[in-house]
Amino acid sequence: MTLTQEKTLAARVRADFPILHQAIHGKPLVYLDNAASSQKPLAVLDALRHYYQNDNANVHRGVHTLSSRATDGYEGARDKVAAFVNAAHREEIIYTRNATEAINLVAYAWGMSTLQRGDEIILSVMEHHANLIPWQFVAQKTGAVLRFVELTGTQDFDLDHYRSLVSDKTKLVSVVHASNMLGCINPVEDIVAIAHQYGAKVLIDACQSVPHSVVDVQALDCDWLVASGHKMCAPTGIGFLYGKKELLRSMPPFMGGGEMIADVFFDQATYADIPHRFEAGTPAIGEAIALGAAVDYLMAIGMDKIHAYEQELTAYLFQQLNAISEVKIYGPQPDAGVTNRVGLAAFTTGAVHPHDLSTILDQAGIAIRAGHHCTQPLHRHLGAQSTARASVYFYNTREEIDTFITALKEAIEFFGGIFG
Amino acid sequence: MSLDNMRDLYQQVILERYKKPRNKGKTDPADRYQKGHNPSCGDTIELTLKINGDRIEDVKFEGEGCAIAISSADLMAEALRGRTLTEAAEMVQRFQSMMKGEAEFPQEFRKLNAMRGVAQFPVRIKCANLSWHTLKAAIENSTPQPVGFVTNE
Ligand SMILES: Cc1ncc(COP(=O)(O)O)c(C=O)c1O
Repeated sequence: MTLTQEKTLAARVRADFPILHQAIHGKPLVYLDNAASSQKPLAVLDALRHYYQNDNANVHRGVHTLSSRATDGYEGARDKVAAFVNAAHREEIIYTRNATEAINLVAYAWGMSTLQRGDEIILSVMEHHANLIPWQFVAQKTGAVLRFVELTGTQDFDLDHYRSLVSDKTKLVSVVHASNMLGCINPVEDIVAIAHQYGAKVLIDACQSVPHSVVDVQALDCDWLVASGHKMCAPTGIGFLYGKKELLRSMPPFMGGGEMIADVFFDQATYADIPHRFEAGTPAIGEAIALGAAVDYLMAIGMDKIHAYEQELTAYLFQQLNAISEVKIYGPQPDAGVTNRVGLAAFTTGAVHPHDLSTILDQAGIAIRAGHHCTQPLHRHLGAQSTARASVYFYNTREEIDTFITALKEAIEFFGGIFG
Repeated sequence: MSLDNMRDLYQQVILERYKKPRNKGKTDPADRYQKGHNPSCGDTIELTLKINGDRIEDVKFEGEGCAIAISSADLMAEALRGRTLTEAAEMVQRFQSMMKGEAEFPQEFRKLNAMRGVAQFPVRIKCANLSWHTLKAAIENSTPQPVGFVTNE
């Protein structure tokens, strides 16, 4: 591992993120809550401002210049997102508010209309609530049955258990690419290939992978993939659903309104083709354009570089955390090249409750997350009420990890002093 | 890191009660029983009261949570013993005012004032309030059956 590359990347990009250069409680901000939401570079903020300052108008509906600029920007960003995940066709990208809405779109438009009593939906025990509750709705409504893939001894996705669950009854497999709690990267190529042998569709929740590495939907061969813009340098309020063209075409609309129609009568309507069929109402135009700017920004750096840098940082984070005897980290330990996990560590410290830890670290300017991270069933499964989670992005530095580790040790000592 | 600020929040008694709560368990009988839960952080409490006439004879709690939530519940349980339900309801109000930085407890309840520092940490007020909020529901519901969960999120 080379220190130089790491220094170069974070040093090169930090100036792009004005928010990072502030003091919290008199200490330099150390932002380690990136798995919850990333910060935004100037390029993205500028794109947003530029749009509202120069081009703002509704899309697709006007023939005037501003409307056509807005439409070009909005549709141009779709091309960027399509290229980013290597979709074969631009209309395979549907804008949504976030990953949650994208999953709900599939659940309502496809799940509710396709699944029947006794059909099986395979999820894993590590799913985010966003990839659990919509399928509970579908199961309740259709009589479909939810099945859950367990964890291995190392708290990885249990592929063997998955194999034993898949059958002709399986109609859908919906799993997370990289867990936002365990940090493990799941074998999605295998998961997809196995599901397809049984004719089941596969949805990949790529919220924690798309921002950090190259994700190629054609290589994965998944049927749907979802991600949220706000975790990948874009604003809140914009995310996307990727779906295979013919599959999306076969799905009835999710929401009704303007934008999604072809021909409307008082008693009925025909619907627009994809992607607009699934984009009812005035969309988040500026946010979509800013998502395009985020994609440009990430691609200019290079997702391979971002990934390599984060692998180094993750190795360092684990090395430092592992050295603290009170710390118990969930999920697999990183392998030699850190190819098996993403840059986050959910942990407990024994004496210090995650919420207390988060308050104490905040006093030192350090932002981490405490709670169940929207994976309550997983926490219950692991016997943890809540965990603390530190998560990195490519603008974080080793020095920030050092600051975090020092403060963490002090917090443990502070509580431990009483407990000793 | 300077932990000075933290010593105002995490007073000795808070850390002690978090480590060794004195009022954990269930009262026998449990004349009042109420559950409280803050879903976003996962803190839970199950509060039981033993009541004689309108007087609280015993208070116990079970639950999981942070140092603020647990110590608050433990100190509350202790302060309630021997009080009437009306007095307890007044204490709920006073505690909630204290969390806004607007009140304190008089001398006889001074231990509860250890929670005062929480008022400076707005995101943690709900932790300290959870047990009191649960108590309020337990006072208002005069049956030994909980009315589902209460929450103060
Ligand atoms: C793995 C995973 N799935 C889904 C989500 C939901 O994302 P959002 O709240 O942006 O829809 C998140 C983010 O919290 C996540 O980490």
